Amino acid sequence: MSGDFYIDNNSFMHRLDARTKMALAFLTVVAILMFEHPVWLMPITCLSLLQLYIAGAFRNLRRIRFILIMMSLSSMILWNFFSNGVTPLWWKFEVESFLFAVNRTLLIVLVISSGMVLISTTRNEELVLGLIKIGLPYRVGFALSTALRLLPTIGSSIITISQAQRSRGLDLHVKNPLERLRRFLPLLVPVFISTIRNTNTFAMALESKGFGARDKRSYYLKMEMKRADYLVLGFALVFVAVSIVLRLKGIGQIPGLTRF
Amino acid sequence: MREIFTMWKDTRMIILVALTAAIYGAFLIVFKGGIPIVPGVTEVRPANVFPPVFGLLFGPAGAWGAAIGNTVGDIFGGTLDQGSILGAIGNFFLAFVPYKMWGATFGLVPKNDISPMTNTLRKLIAFEIVALTGSAACAIIIAWYADSIGMVPFAFLSITITVNNFAAACVVGPILLSLLYPRVKRWGLLWTDIMSVEDVAPGKAKSLGSILMIVGALGGLVFGTMVALGAAGQTIYGFDGEQGNWTLFVVMIPFLALLVIAGLMLSGREQFTDEAE
Repeated sequence: MSGDFYIDNNSFMHRLDARTKMALAFLTVVAILMFEHPVWLMPITCLSLLQLYIAGAFRNLRRIRFILIMMSLSSMILWNFFSNGVTPLWWKFEVESFLFAVNRTLLIVLVISSGMVLISTTRNEELVLGLIKIGLPYRVGFALSTALRLLPTIGSSIITISQAQRSRGLDLHVKNPLERLRRFLPLLVPVFISTIRNTNTFAMALESKGFGARDKRSYYLKMEMKRADYLVLGFALVFVAVSIVLRLKGIGQIPGLTRF
Repeated sequence: MREIFTMWKDTRMIILVALTAAIYGAFLIVFKGGIPIVPGVTEVRPANVFPPVFGLLFGPAGAWGAAIGNTVGDIFGGTLDQGSILGAIGNFFLAFVPYKMWGATFGLVPKNDISPMTNTLRKLIAFEIVALTGSAACAIIIAWYADSIGMVPFAFLSITITVNNFAAACVVGPILLSLLYPRVKRWGLLWTDIMSVEDVAPGKAKSLGSILMIVGALGGLVFGTMVALGAAGQTIYGFDGEQGNWTLFVVMIPFLALLVIAGLMLSGREQFTDEAE
């Protein structure tokens, strides 16, 4: 987990306007939330796979495979316990609870995938400008995009520091939860300090380039919605509208499911 | 609450928002694959030690950082859903309440030693009070919304989030604060060192504000749970009972309003005396 998630490419997804890609990620999440039955998530799954393929973002998903696998496994196990159905499947599990567990697992993977497509195909500066163009103050947009950009760096620091601490004998796998919490301190402090210590230098670098000098600022980067953007947005809006109509008609739900 | 808007004028505060959001988000993601409590909704979150500490050290920048960091964690942890908006607001309060209440903890933090350290027993107690109040405020905001949209029952979620937030903060928080404060102070990155006092809300009747914050957060938690158990037939450690109960929805509104009113009454200006040390 090191470096940037952005993949330098010139794919169709890369060429779309940042606003289109943000809207696409948002609308994908909205559409996913409309359905309970995993079969009804298949169209969205196919579209997400297509986006990942076009963007060449599968390699980034591979980088976070450990988190994906752990979350999928825990989701599959726990949602089977947290929901009930009427058709016995095996042991304490019912068909309905199993289907719902598949749905929730797909939801997790698809939400991560849609975020991954966005950051794999959009440069930081494009993301900021996209956010500003849709009304976010540029200072807030800058903070958000910087946080996104720093994530892999900090993730990498966490792994490096935990390996260094383990090599010095730190055992993070004790059973007592309070003791475990306490042992995370040697991990938290160096990550925090190594991240925060450059704040002043960072601020000086920004201010030397005129950051914050005026309430409104100009941008070197020019963004323009093209025909492809309108077509993609139109398709996504129709897709979400159909999903909402289906949801309102009760289609795509799991009959007999009792969720908490 | 003026400072939560005026802080955006200062480049260093903006950078602190970004850095705290990135740290919080990264640790949340690392532990997403850990021990889930409700998969896709919440999990054991040792990273929740950060917001109260960020709040006390970086003030409004820490609060915004907690809100953005939680959203970033949701995006890359696969838990982005209709609850994420209130999740961000809840996490904002998790960091906002500690720094607003710190100088108005009924004399536990003396005016001549108001630094956000836990170097005395009284200040340690003050930290635990503000962290618990922040944890409960965060919990009732998220649980109220999650229950009203039929996502997770209030009784279960409010207690789970409070315990989840406070467990990390009460054990590791004071140690972390003691380790980090001297460095942050030396680098001149305390929010009271960066912001000017005029940019911070003056507040009114701060002790009363603290009481109202505690009533809003902890009172809302206790009262809301009682209503959820009674009127909605929910259980504390289960998912039984009715969700989206109208009585519970209405009853919680005054408590949530109290959080905002208390936020307006509290200041944070009193912490600026630290500069004279």
